[in-house]
Amino acid sequence: MWRQVLDDVIRKTVSGFAERLAAFGPNLLAMVLILLVGVLAAGTVRLLLRLTLPWLGFDRFAHRVGLSAALEKGGIARAPSRVLATATAWTVLALFVLLAVGALNLQFAMDLLTRTFSYLPQILIAGALLVLGFLVSGFFERSVLIAAVNAGLPPARLLAGVVRTALLVLFVAMALEHLGVGRQVVLVSFAILFGGVVLTLALAFGLAGRHVARDLLERLTRKREPSGEKELRHL
Amino acid sequence: MSERVPLAAEVEARLRELGEVDVLVGIPSFNNARTIGHVVLASVAGLAKYFPEKRAVLVNSDGGSSDGTPQAVAGAEFTRSAAILVSHPLSPVHKIVTPYHGIPGKGSALRTIFAIAERLKAQACAVVDSDLRSIAPEWIQLLLGPVLQEGMDFVAPLYLRHKYDGTITNSIVYPLTRALYGKEIRQPIGGDFGFSGKLASHYLTKPVWDSAVARFGIDMWMTATAVADGFHVCQSFLGAKIHDAKDPGADLADMLVQVVSAVFDLMDAYEARWKAVEGAEAVPLFGFPHGVGLEPVSVNVERMLGIFRQGARDLGPVWEKVLTADARAEITVLAAAGADAFRLPDPLWVRIVYEFAAAYHRRVLPAEQLLRSLVPLYLGWTASFVRQTEQSSSEEVEAVIRELADEFVRQKGYLRKIWG
Repeated sequence: MWRQVLDDVIRKTVSGFAERLAAFGPNLLAMVLILLVGVLAAGTVRLLLRLTLPWLGFDRFAHRVGLSAALEKGGIARAPSRVLATATAWTVLALFVLLAVGALNLQFAMDLLTRTFSYLPQILIAGALLVLGFLVSGFFERSVLIAAVNAGLPPARLLAGVVRTALLVLFVAMALEHLGVGRQVVLVSFAILFGGVVLTLALAFGLAGRHVARDLLERLTRKREPSGEKELRHL
Repeated sequence: MSERVPLAAEVEARLRELGEVDVLVGIPSFNNARTIGHVVLASVAGLAKYFPEKRAVLVNSDGGSSDGTPQAVAGAEFTRSAAILVSHPLSPVHKIVTPYHGIPGKGSALRTIFAIAERLKAQACAVVDSDLRSIAPEWIQLLLGPVLQEGMDFVAPLYLRHKYDGTITNSIVYPLTRALYGKEIRQPIGGDFGFSGKLASHYLTKPVWDSAVARFGIDMWMTATAVADGFHVCQSFLGAKIHDAKDPGADLADMLVQVVSAVFDLMDAYEARWKAVEGAEAVPLFGFPHGVGLEPVSVNVERMLGIFRQGARDLGPVWEKVLTADARAEITVLAAAGADAFRLPDPLWVRIVYEFAAAYHRRVLPAEQLLRSLVPLYLGWTASFVRQTEQSSSEEVEAVIRELADEFVRQKGYLRKIWG
């Protein structure tokens, strides 16, 4: 009798496992297939980008906007086109991994997939904001630096650095706000930081640089008087 | 091509009424009521005195003046100048006063003048600035005569200028244009020109009227187009050019950006032409050049040197995208030199200009930032030039500028090499 019971239990267990394996097998196979396709797609994307980006002048553009210099500062000595190709390939692979997990048709996997895809637009927008912030802040930093040098303002580099930092902080705050990371904390921190910087600069200019401020205002309001002498004309 | 240029209905009617003319004098204007009357009188007197047998028309192409400039032209009394005439014109000088259409700027004003010249089949044309105070009737002879009598297509002006006037022209525009196109045009952006009807029609065929040329840079464009496209060019000595200050508050950086971008843009447009040119040759010269007295000029060399030194200290991240390491090293050494010993050598200045031109061509930076970063270097050159020529006469200064221009020619191979 015990033997029959044991046979039944083992048979049921084995047959149940076989049934579950038969039901789950195609999903597993699909996952493996999706992963393989993902690896292939990522490799292809990487190869294509490594070939086309330099041809399209991406490295030159990156050099021009200061991306190369930023990568070098971050310890990445590779060409920006290679960095972008690798990053894109990893992103493609990550997407395929998510799809592969989804193919298992497990509840937690489906939840993970749904949450990830619903959050993806925010991640993309935040990433775009960071890239835009990097480009915009670099552009304005250079513009302020050149204008300040041409105007003969001694703290040209300081001014340019302040402008770049302020813009970067602004864009990072916008990106974090978009991701919903500590929304209130980011907003309040930014307001306090920005207000503090402006107040500090105003006080510094008003107290330490009041003579400079007075001279500047006088120069702005004074009418140009003819000197009697001819001045150098550039054109 | 003139049919593509929009003209007012009354101007169209006037053109039909006039039929054809021999010569045309164009005056682009914008709020020049104070001076344009004198320019009109001098032009008409010049036409009557030197070309009495020619059918002539005077065209004022106005950019929407609010100070009564067109009315000043319309009301200018032509008969007054008859008092100085030996011969009298067979037919009166006709006037066309018209607003121009398109992008506001001298380029659009001149386009309208070119179109009217083509429609009236003018053989020779002259354009003169409306803010001139020193224009004399002889200018009309000197600008139109070489076209009508010598078969020239383009007459560039040659002015009597103080040794420290026109430093952008002296340091960049003149020597670079001469080296690029191989013709000795001393004032490529003078503003007053003579040209043939054929060249006016040629200008109209160029697709530049919606670009920056329509706003500024038309003077440089006219000169370069005439030279690069193989027209017969010459110079006429007009004497002193005295005109209203265009914009007393005009920023040096803005001026430099406008002028140098016009020259650099043309280097892209005429790349094949300038690359093929070797050396530089003189062009026919009309008129009687003479020297100029040197009144004192206030030049703040210390301030210029200060900005140059600050540029050398702070603009490294910008210049490293533009200049070679050798050039930057030389600039750094120069910045450390004392004010009295400061000299920016010609070979270095030429390399700087050529490397900026190549960087502009390769778009290594936004154009405006690139050219604004040239300002400290230009001020360094100007300070060096002033120091070098403090005790020099006009002739000696011309020799210095000529030597710089020759250096541009000598280093042209370097430009070809780095152009890419």
